[in-house]
Amino acid sequence: MAVNGTGVRGPLVVLDPTDESAPDARTAIARPASLDGLRVGLLDISKPRGDVFLDRLAELLAERGVTVRRYAKPTFTKPMPPDLRREITTECDVVIEALAD
Amino acid sequence: MDLREDGLVAVVKRDCPTCRLVEPVLAGLSRTGELTVFTQDDPAFPDGVADLRDDTELSASLALDIETVPTLVRFAGGVEAGRVVGWSRAQWTELTGVADLGEGLPEHRPGCGSRTLDPDVAEQLLVRTRGGALRSRRLEISALEDEAEALFDRGFTDGLPVVAPTPARVLRMLEGTSHAPDEVVAVVPPNLAEATVEKVAVNAVLAGCRPEYLPVVLAAVEAACTDEFNAHGLLATTWGAGPAIVVNGPVRAEIGMNWAGNALGQGNRANSTIGRALQLVIRNVGGGRPREVDRAALGHPGKVGFCFAEDEEGSPFEPLAQSRGVPAGRSAVTVFAAEGPRGVADQISRRPESLARSLALGLRGVVHPKLVRGFDATLVVCPEHARVFAEAGWDRARLQAALDEYLLLDRAEITRGAGGVDEGVPAGDSDRPLAKFRPGGLLIVHAGGGAGMFSAVIGGWAGGPGGSAPVTREVDPWR
Amino acid sequence: MHDFVALEGRGVIATFLASTEFVEAADAQARALGYRAVPSVFVPHPIQDRTDAEVRALADAALEEVLARVVDVDQARGVD
Repeated sequence: MAVNGTGVRGPLVVLDPTDESAPDARTAIARPASLDGLRVGLLDISKPRGDVFLDRLAELLAERGVTVRRYAKPTFTKPMPPDLRREITTECDVVIEALAD
Repeated sequence: MDLREDGLVAVVKRDCPTCRLVEPVLAGLSRTGELTVFTQDDPAFPDGVADLRDDTELSASLALDIETVPTLVRFAGGVEAGRVVGWSRAQWTELTGVADLGEGLPEHRPGCGSRTLDPDVAEQLLVRTRGGALRSRRLEISALEDEAEALFDRGFTDGLPVVAPTPARVLRMLEGTSHAPDEVVAVVPPNLAEATVEKVAVNAVLAGCRPEYLPVVLAAVEAACTDEFNAHGLLATTWGAGPAIVVNGPVRAEIGMNWAGNALGQGNRANSTIGRALQLVIRNVGGGRPREVDRAALGHPGKVGFCFAEDEEGSPFEPLAQSRGVPAGRSAVTVFAAEGPRGVADQISRRPESLARSLALGLRGVVHPKLVRGFDATLVVCPEHARVFAEAGWDRARLQAALDEYLLLDRAEITRGAGGVDEGVPAGDSDRPLAKFRPGGLLIVHAGGGAGMFSAVIGGWAGGPGGSAPVTREVDPWR
Repeated sequence: MHDFVALEGRGVIATFLASTEFVEAADAQARALGYRAVPSVFVPHPIQDRTDAEVRALADAALEEVLARVVDVDQARGVD
């Protein structure tokens, strides 16, 4: 392979600054032992029929004593807009996003 | 790679006008059968050379340590017998033994930079030639991720952006020390993980250090990971102190540290990043993260990193490191437990006794004005205060003795309940005054700008065994 | 998946549900964003042409799995 500085950008390699005891991939943040006292949000990505699914999920969670706040993305085709993100991160500890089909 | 035992080797690139100038000369020399040409860019250049080798990978150029093209090297018996850089008819003639070279060419013409020295290429070559020495796990940040965000998300930072520790940057950082990357510097609390020179270098890159700071960072890591310093205890306490570093000796000036105006503040790269590198080692290698093992109720902004240099040149005192046993002329770090600094003003005292009493009042507030002997502290004497001591002929020991005397506290003032404050020392059966600090529990350092009669008190943490004691280590062994 | 990263990066525990059609796409996207895997629940494809009763039945079936993605029953409560 010739040396050149014009390659298409591949992944950036960095060296792990830690003791490497944790997995090398990003991991989901730690889960709590229960949902007691946590604010739970249901995020509808706005695909057809997703609302039916989420309505039922909200009912089931309510039966478990978990009340949820409901949110909806304007469109499933894009990441949620900053305002919605801010609203959710302020109001929720846990978010369940559905339903990609 | 196949270099000649005997004969001539030339290294060229088409991109260089001088190389193109000597193209016919090389063709002529090739007819003697004595010449091999390595070409750095275009494998078809130069024309008319029988033994033409593709060196676009630059392996031969590296092996021959080529800095300029064209370079013409003579080998005899497998060893280099001479080389000429650029074009010079006289020198080429002498080296080749062939007369009348380059008819019609100018007498001489300087060469061009070798491709091995192109910045982007040099980086890749550094990783290619020396990257094998690196042992750290390689993590990939995908093209979809923002580099800075990815480093935050992976938990590698103290809340400020970090420099991505690419293999090339870490290799350049490692040029700051002669120590092998895999040498263990210290066992880092709280997880008791081994920090190699390489891991310290990775974190020094994150922190924004230059390679020449690395020996100071290594010495600080060594010092902070001793039993006496007890970084684990300092981290785990709910008290807010963190490790601070004061640097002595020639290295201060060599790496451009600040010991003058705003010495304890922001704005100097070495001061800011060396302290940060130590804290990132404790965070990343040791696992000492805030709100995990780090239980500080409040902490302080200097826990991002707290490092400064002593003003030795303007000081009436022997340098701190020398007072702690380091030979004169040598560089050292002293790590100590530190809260944020707070000023002690005295713009009136001209007598050393009066000024020392003022400073003692400032020191009395450490941990609580009514508590004694528990906590260490550091006094940073500013130049305008130091002048008062200098004019009176007070050295470090004299000031220390005076402070010890003035910090003998009247038990009646500090007993629990005294002054309407329930906190304080328990009532005792003796009226003997109580020393504010344990012996050796007060460090004195000289630093600061030339104007301002404002010294500073830096509160510490529980001193001595069971707590943390200041630790001094030499920097030079880590060069 | 970008929503998942945005939420978790801000300290919000997140999970997402998709139909089985999305297993590979979700996996590829997770890797591209630096995760080996992300907590997700896949329900049988398709969704859009099902009756309401069928969709509700999918939710019933998914509930336990959803809860398992956002709580960790084995984990002791965090440090005080």
